[in-house]
Amino acid sequence: MKQQFTRRNLLTTLTGVLAGLATWPVARTAKAAVQKFFVSTQAPGGYDPTKHKWLMAIDVDRCIGCGLCVEACKKENNVPEGESYFRTWIERYTITKPKAGSGETRGEVFVDSPNGGIHGFPPNTIPKDQILKSFFVPKLCNLCQHSPCSQVCPVGATFDTPDGAVLVDPKYCIGCGFCVQACPYGCRFLNPITKTAEKCSLCYHRITRGLLPACVEVCPGQARIFGDLKNLSPDDPIQRFFESNKAQSLKPHLGTGPRVLYAELDKEVR
Amino acid sequence: MRRLFKLPPQIVRLVLLTIGIVTVYCTARFFLTPPTFAQYGWFRGDALAEIAAREPVHAGKKACDECHSEEYQKVAKFEHKTVSCEACHGVGKPHADNPDTPIAKLAFSRCVRCHEADPSRPKWLKQINSRNHYTGQRCTECHIPHQPNEVP
Repeated sequence: MKQQFTRRNLLTTLTGVLAGLATWPVARTAKAAVQKFFVSTQAPGGYDPTKHKWLMAIDVDRCIGCGLCVEACKKENNVPEGESYFRTWIERYTITKPKAGSGETRGEVFVDSPNGGIHGFPPNTIPKDQILKSFFVPKLCNLCQHSPCSQVCPVGATFDTPDGAVLVDPKYCIGCGFCVQACPYGCRFLNPITKTAEKCSLCYHRITRGLLPACVEVCPGQARIFGDLKNLSPDDPIQRFFESNKAQSLKPHLGTGPRVLYAELDKEVR
Repeated sequence: MRRLFKLPPQIVRLVLLTIGIVTVYCTARFFLTPPTFAQYGWFRGDALAEIAAREPVHAGKKACDECHSEEYQKVAKFEHKTVSCEACHGVGKPHADNPDTPIAKLAFSRCVRCHEADPSRPKWLKQINSRNHYTGQRCTECHIPHQPNEVP
């Protein structure tokens, strides 16, 4: 049956539309009230993440294995004490001499990191005359461009920021630990106190205030170099790093696109 | 409208249920999506500000330069020029905020932490073996930490 066009029908329709329109501002006010519970922002003013691109570079040959970076990181970021909670740590690689007549270039590779190197390193247990070479490698979050940890997060708590950091939103993290498994560099852990995933945040609270990350600040040998690729000064340390070094990344075959670059990296380092 | 009611009742219920679920979803989404969501990407834009809001613990070299610029410039001329103040003196923020807060005294361990001989350490670093390098004397008897090349 065809509907008739009457005054009653017209008025009913118009009233319906007007009532619908009136609910919109009411809904907006209600939304604002609801979201007051979720929102709290006291960030250092004037920081625009789209105008920066941070990058960390590590010169392995400059690392002396003092462990000051690990200590500073724990203090700066309130990282819990313990053998498995590190945002950054140092590994000692020891490569032994090959057996005489074996035809090999090198013997075995030993990697140790006693308590992340936070108190420095005890003397090597391998006698000096058996060591082919030995060196320290600082490790931290590799700031992947295609980060596996943010891909697997089921609640979107981990994300890649426009300025090149990979951060964890502790309000969203449910502590499932998928990201801990996904990270091929072992850079994440579950904080036993907050029960959320934690990782190097590039000292986001420092770099947004114009300070260096804590590990870069205290590194006595300048093994860690930090810079902003979008605001390079003429003699920027990061610029000098690229001019004078051949940089490479860890595990490039995984396609994660790390933005932490290493100079003087030995092929044995994983 | 009348044609809809001629549909089998189970289909009508299914349609109404679907409309109900979609409405609830849209309402919840409208109210619960944070305002800064998708500001920079598929995440809450406010999270950046919240993470950045934490107070730094290390004050940074520039804060030391404000009061101790004489020492600061002295260090910058000598071998320890790459070493930040807080690398040896420890966390400096409490002292920078309130100069009455004392900064920790340095111990022998602070020197050997970097300079104890270790085959893993790079060759450019000056290293000593503390067992046979003037054992029993304090490092500062022969070396000035701020000017390591000078002899007192």
